[in-house]
Amino acid sequence: MVDVIKNTQVHCTYGCKSSKAVQPNVAGKMISKAKRPLFIVGSQILKDEELLKRSIEIAKKADLPVAATGHSMSGLVDKGVNAKYINVHALATYLCDPNWTGLDGKGQYDTIIVLGHFKYYIDQVLSGLKSFSKLKSIAIEREYIQNATMSFGNITPDVHIEALDELIDNL
Amino acid sequence: MSELTTGKFSMAISDLENVQITINNIVGAIEKQVDETDLEMGPTVKPGVSSLRDWDHNILDRYNPVYTPMCDQCCYCTFGPCDLSGNKEGACGIDLAGHNAREFMLRVITGAAAHSGHGRHLLHHLIGIYGEDHLLDVGATNIIAPNVQLVTGVSPKTLGDLDSVLSYVEEQITQLLAAVHVGQEGAAIDFESKALHGGMLDHVGMEISDIAQISCLDFPKSDDEPPLADIGMGCLDASKPTLIVIGHNVAAVTDIIDYMDEKGLNEKMELGGLCCTALDMTRYKTNDRTLPRAKVVGTLAKELKTIRSGIPDVIIVDEQCIRADVLKEASKLMIPVITTNDKVMYGLKDRSNDSIEDILEDLTTGKEKGALMFDYVKLGELAPRLTMMMSEIRKQKGIKGLPTDEELKELADSCVHCLKCEVACPNSLPISEAMTALSEGELSNFELLHDKCIACGRCEFACPKDIDIVNVIEKSSQRVISEEVGKVRVGRGPISDPEIREEGVNLVLGTTPGIVALVGCSNYPDGTKDLFTIADEMLRRSYIVVVSGCSAMDLGMYQDEDGMTLYEKYPSRFKSGGLLNTGSCVSNAHITGAVIKVASIFAQKNISGNYEEIADYTLNRVGAVGVAWGAYSQKAASIGTGCARLGIPVILGPHGSKYRRALIGKPYEEDKWTVYDARDGSKMQIPAAPDYLLTTAETVEEMMPMLAKSCIRPSDNNMGRMIKLTHYIELSQKYLGIMPDDWFKFVRTETDLPLAKREKLLKILEEEQGWEIDWKRKKILSGPAMKSDVSAQPTNLKRLCKEA
Repeated sequence: MVDVIKNTQVHCTYGCKSSKAVQPNVAGKMISKAKRPLFIVGSQILKDEELLKRSIEIAKKADLPVAATGHSMSGLVDKGVNAKYINVHALATYLCDPNWTGLDGKGQYDTIIVLGHFKYYIDQVLSGLKSFSKLKSIAIEREYIQNATMSFGNITPDVHIEALDELIDNL
Repeated sequence: MSELTTGKFSMAISDLENVQITINNIVGAIEKQVDETDLEMGPTVKPGVSSLRDWDHNILDRYNPVYTPMCDQCCYCTFGPCDLSGNKEGACGIDLAGHNAREFMLRVITGAAAHSGHGRHLLHHLIGIYGEDHLLDVGATNIIAPNVQLVTGVSPKTLGDLDSVLSYVEEQITQLLAAVHVGQEGAAIDFESKALHGGMLDHVGMEISDIAQISCLDFPKSDDEPPLADIGMGCLDASKPTLIVIGHNVAAVTDIIDYMDEKGLNEKMELGGLCCTALDMTRYKTNDRTLPRAKVVGTLAKELKTIRSGIPDVIIVDEQCIRADVLKEASKLMIPVITTNDKVMYGLKDRSNDSIEDILEDLTTGKEKGALMFDYVKLGELAPRLTMMMSEIRKQKGIKGLPTDEELKELADSCVHCLKCEVACPNSLPISEAMTALSEGELSNFELLHDKCIACGRCEFACPKDIDIVNVIEKSSQRVISEEVGKVRVGRGPISDPEIREEGVNLVLGTTPGIVALVGCSNYPDGTKDLFTIADEMLRRSYIVVVSGCSAMDLGMYQDEDGMTLYEKYPSRFKSGGLLNTGSCVSNAHITGAVIKVASIFAQKNISGNYEEIADYTLNRVGAVGVAWGAYSQKAASIGTGCARLGIPVILGPHGSKYRRALIGKPYEEDKWTVYDARDGSKMQIPAAPDYLLTTAETVEEMMPMLAKSCIRPSDNNMGRMIKLTHYIELSQKYLGIMPDDWFKFVRTETDLPLAKREKLLKILEEEQGWEIDWKRKKILSGPAMKSDVSAQPTNLKRLCKEA
C-alpha cells in the first residue's frame, strides 16, 4: 500500500479550513459509495499517457459521468466514457446552484472527483464550492489541493500513478 | 467679478495683487465650457458611485458574481480574525461573499489608482513642459477621448482640459475607497456595482495618460503602419554598455533618449526596456515612422532574468510592475539603480538637487547603491554617462552574473530532490527532474522550463540547499535566450475615425466575426507562445486582433512557417484580419475607445455622458472579447472590470482565477436570456452568448471556441451569424474534437448555418433536435427558439423602447 498522506505542505495556507488528507483505498471506496458523483477531468491528463489511461479506467470502472474541462475532451472522444465538455469555472458556478440539473438533466451532484488540473486553478475553483455549497470534493491529483474536502498530498508522478492504481482496485 | 475660463488664463502668480483664487470657480468654468458647446448630453454626466447602479444590477442579474476566495478569514479590523468559512458572518456582520466582493473592488480601484496616478504624474510633468494650452492631437479623429466623453461629457481639446476630468476620477476613487472601511457597504451586489464603477473610471484614467503622452511626445497618432521595434533578451548587444529601464512611465526616459541622440551615443550603448516603459520608449518620436532607438527586452517575467544576466550596467525604474527587489538584486552585481518616481523609491537618497558629478562619484565608487532623481533633465545626462562609466568599471572588476559551466554542474549535483521548489513554484514546474538531467549534462529540460518560468524566485527561497535556481535555469538556457529575438509593432495609439467608419457596419452585422483583444501581463500557464497561437488562429479567420502591453510583446517573439512575425504578416489597420498594437498598458483605453466610437460613428449615438446606452449597445451588438491570458496585476483586474461594465466579455488564463471573482451567466436559466426589442418594447429571446462577462479558461485550446462564441451577438445578420457559427463549430472540432453541444441554439433560420455543411447540419437538427425541415427547399419550418429579424433592436433597457 502506498502512503500518500504524508506531505500536505502548501505554498501558503489560507484561512480556517483545509482538506483532509486521504489514502487511495479510502478515496476509492468513497467514490464507489457516492450516489450522484461527477468526475471532473482536466486537460493535464493529456500530458501523460499513463494518467489519461487511468482517468478513463476510473470513469469506466466506477461508471462515472465525466465533465471534461479545458481541452481534455480531445483525449476522451471515442474512448467509451460518458464525457461532456464544460468550462471548469462555469461548472463550479452551476455546482453551487441547487436548481442546476447537471450535465444529464437528472439533478445536482453530491460528490465530485477532480483529476488532471493545474493545482492553483482547481484549488481556486474548489474554494467557491467549499464556501458556497455542501458538495463533497475528492482531489486525486499529485498535489495537495487545500480547498477540496479530501485530497492526496504532494507526491511524485510515479507514486501518483501507483496511488491511482490502488484507487482503481478499490472501486 | 470676472470669471475665469479654461485655456485662456495665463499669468505669473507673483505679478498678481489683491487677487483671490477660488478653485471651485475654475472647476465651474470647465463645466460651463461644456454647457456652451452644442453637445447633446446623456443622463449620466460625471456619474457618482450610484448613478449607474441600475445598469450594474441589470447585467449582474444575468452575469452572476462568482466568488472563489483565497482565504476564508477576514483580518481587516481588530475584531478579527473572523472565520467566514461556509459564508459565515464576521464580527462586523459581513459575510464571505460580501468580504470577497469588497476585496475585489479594492483590487479594481488599486488598479485604477495606479493608472490614474500614472496619468496625474504624466499630466503634471507634461503641462510643466508644454503648458496647459497645448492642443491634444491623437490623429484622424473627431472624438479625441471617447472614454472621457462617454463618462464625463467633456470633449477635451487641450492638456489643461484633462486636469478636471482626472480630478473627477480621483474624487470617485476616494469615494469608492471609503466604502472599503469597516461598517460601510454590506451587500456583495453593491460592492460589485462599485467595482464596475472603478473599472469604468480606470479606462478614463488610462485614456488621459495615453492621449497626453501621444499629444506631447510625438508618439504615432492613430497610425495604421507604425514602425517595428526589436524585442527579446537576445536583441541586446551585451558587449556594449547597457542601460535598462523598468516600469510604465516614460516621462523619466525621454530626456535620456534625447541626450543619447544629441551626443551620438545610439551606436555606442544599448538602451533597453522591460514592461510598458519599453513599449512607450519605442513610441517616442516615431510619429514620422522613423525606427525607434530603444529596444524592448521583454515583460515583467524577464526582469529578474535580465538583472541576473549581469548585462545591465545601470537600471532605472519608474513605476508599476517593478520587482520590489530590483535594488537588492542589482547591488549584488554592482549595478546602480536610479529611482525616478515617488511611487518607487527603495529608500534611496534624493539626489535631485545634487550635481551630476557628485552623483557619478558616489555611484561609480559604490559609496551609494543608487539614487533617487526627480530632475529628469539631469537624469537625461546622468544615466547615459553613468552607463558608460559603469560598463568599464564592471568589466575591470570582472563582474559576472551567471554561474560558470563547472559551477552549474556543482549546483545541479547539490540538489537533494526534496521537491520543495516544485511546491513553491506557481506553475509547479518539474525542476527536480531537470536538475537530474542537468547533472547528466542534459540542458534541454531547463531550456524547456525557461520559457514557462516567470522568474519569480520563490523556488530559491524554498530550497534547503540555497541553490539559485533562477540562475540555473537561465545559465542552462543561454542558447535559447540568445535566439530570443523578435519584432513588435510600435504602439499606434487610437483607432481613427475613417477606420471605424469603414469597419463599424461589418462588426455590428457580424460579417467581420469579431474583435479579439489580447491584453495584460505575462503570467501565462504554459509559456509565452500561447499568445502567438491565439492571434495566429484568429487572424487566419479574419477576426480583428488588437493587442497591448506585455501581450503585444510576447506575440512578437514567434515567427510563422515563413519566418515572419504576425506583425510583419498582417496589416496594422482596424479591419477584418488586422493586427493592431495600441501601445502600452494605458493604451488599453483605445480598445474600449474603438468600441465606443463604433456606437458613435456607425450608429450615430450620442456618447457624451451616455454610458448606459452605449454599454447596452456594445453588449447587444458589438462582437468584441478581451483576453488577458497572463493577467497578474490589479490593473488587469480593473481593465477587465471596465470592459465588463461596457458590455465587453473578458477571458482570463487559469491564473486569473486568483482574482477570486468572475461574472458568469447560466445558460439554463432561460428567462435571463431575453432583451427588449426597442422598436416596440416586446421581449425577444437571445442566445446565451456571451455567457460570461469575466471568466477563466484552462488552456488555449479550450479558449479558442470560447472566443468565437463570445463574439456572437443578437444583432448578427444571417451572413454574420453564419460566419460566427462556422468558426465556433470549426474551432470546437479542431481543439476539442467535438461539435459544441449548444451550436443549434444559435440557429434562427437555415441561412444562419455554415454554407458548406448546411445539409448535414439540417439533418442533425431534424434527427437530434426534432426540428421540422422542408427538404425540397432546404428550409427550417419549425424548431428554433428565436426568430431571425435583422431589423430588431435588442436592448436591455426598457427606457429606450418606443412603447415604454
